Amino acid sequence: MIARQKRISGGIGLDVGSTTAKMVRIEDGEVKSRITGTHNWKELVNGIKADIISTGYFRNSVPHKASVTEITAAIYGVRHYFPEVDVIVDIGGQDTKVIDVRKNNFLINDKCSSGTGAFLEFAANYFSIGLDELGLFHRRAERIPDINNTCGVFAISEMISQLVAGYSKEEVVAGMHYAFARRISFMIPEAETIVLIGGAAKNEGMVMALKDILKKKILIPGEPQAINALGALKYFS
Amino acid sequence: MHVSKIGITALVPPELIFACGGEPVDVNNVIPLSKKYPRNKLCAWTAIWKEMLVERELSVDSLIVVAGGDCHNALVDGQKVAMSGIPTHFFFYPFDGDPEYMESQLHRLSEFLGGLEFPEKIKQINDLKKLGQQIDIKRSRGRITSGEAFSILISFSDLRGDLNEFQKIAASIKEHNIETTNRVALIGVPPIFYDFHDVARSLGLHIVFDELPYEFIRHQGADIREIARDYCEYTFARPLDFRISFLQKELEKRKVDGIIHYTQFACHHMLEDEIIRSRLDYPVLTIQGDLPGNTPQQIKLRLEAFREMLERL
Repeated sequence: MIARQKRISGGIGLDVGSTTAKMVRIEDGEVKSRITGTHNWKELVNGIKADIISTGYFRNSVPHKASVTEITAAIYGVRHYFPEVDVIVDIGGQDTKVIDVRKNNFLINDKCSSGTGAFLEFAANYFSIGLDELGLFHRRAERIPDINNTCGVFAISEMISQLVAGYSKEEVVAGMHYAFARRISFMIPEAETIVLIGGAAKNEGMVMALKDILKKKILIPGEPQAINALGALKYFS
Repeated sequence: MHVSKIGITALVPPELIFACGGEPVDVNNVIPLSKKYPRNKLCAWTAIWKEMLVERELSVDSLIVVAGGDCHNALVDGQKVAMSGIPTHFFFYPFDGDPEYMESQLHRLSEFLGGLEFPEKIKQINDLKKLGQQIDIKRSRGRITSGEAFSILISFSDLRGDLNEFQKIAASIKEHNIETTNRVALIGVPPIFYDFHDVARSLGLHIVFDELPYEFIRHQGADIREIARDYCEYTFARPLDFRISFLQKELEKRKVDGIIHYTQFACHHMLEDEIIRSRLDYPVLTIQGDLPGNTPQQIKLRLEAFREMLERL
């Protein structure tokens, strides 16, 4: 446990999460990031001599000069882009974290897969499409079927029922995004500025559903998946 | 002389059990280290003691179930134990704190236990509780680790069944010089993880107050009448307003920086979380456990993030 008072300059931020690893360094004031699968994290630091500031599930399993939890890292990373942030929603591979920056409070859902990236992956696999295609499918939907089951596994059964009932794949994907977003919305407190980070922030279908449910503007930084790696770096700088 | 082992499922005045010639056994104490996976469960605490008692893996001659004013699951699981043939008595605390009702409950309990035989034990236990209170204060001042203090204080529910031996153990606790930054209160039912206090300490959190064990050392009395009047202030059995105003004073006295609210899966105390958060003006970390064992990684992440949060304040 390194006290935060210890400043580290010229380091890199390394976020090794449950499904992906992200690396961030700041060059001439510009944030540069790289992303790979968790088990290939070494390729992100090969040949780099700088001190590593780690975060994410594997923060203490990779070599590091200092480490910080992804909750604190998220706050420092998001503030780099949105200093006035009220609430951060971080949708990761295996959990979803909602951080109330104003109240210094956080909630983590890691017990139910239906509000995590794992569920989106599960649904994409079922339709034999890539994760990045879910948003396109959502846009093409003309109707949105109700998918109410909060359990990720049973939601798939419900999606099958909706296909049998005559909804298109696109419409069922849109219904799934609404079910996913509704689940997450229960964790989000009333706030003015909500920032969404994590891999699922790249899924425009899910973002559209969440905006529609919350009736709020949702801000997304340029590379939402690398924010925690950036935050780890900022925390010690 | 055969001394009856009297199982207790929550706080039952141990003074009365010893004074009636019994040896109390808090059936919860074996659970954090238990490897048992109960077949039919809501809360793992009650499900495990129920199964161990029904299957005679935990040896008691009779059982006192605290069925009113604390654990609601125990009311059903206690009946299952009774149906298995273990003599079982159901003990009810008064929700409104009525001392006459409490006194009548203690008289009924005394009858179940065969009547007062050794009233001198009451004074011996009162003296032991003074020692417990000193341990609690020393822990708060950084003279005793929270893990060691918790292990002794939680044992005050049954005094490990042997007053003389327990007195020796409590008196021999080692003193240290511990830095008590990030002072936190642990409220709610005790964590089901056997290493929780040590894990919290290793992550930079110093637990200076354990709500339930504090109840075990603060109630006493010279006879049934006095015991009734003191124990009817057992906060877990009283309305939330009563418990919260008591907590407010204790937290202020101990200068805590934050609160960890431990909740047990499928325990009705989980429902209290939102009230605790809104009424106690401290940063609150709510965690939830289910089955016993060591502290899971997901809980460690929350504890570490909570420490970082306290350091940002």
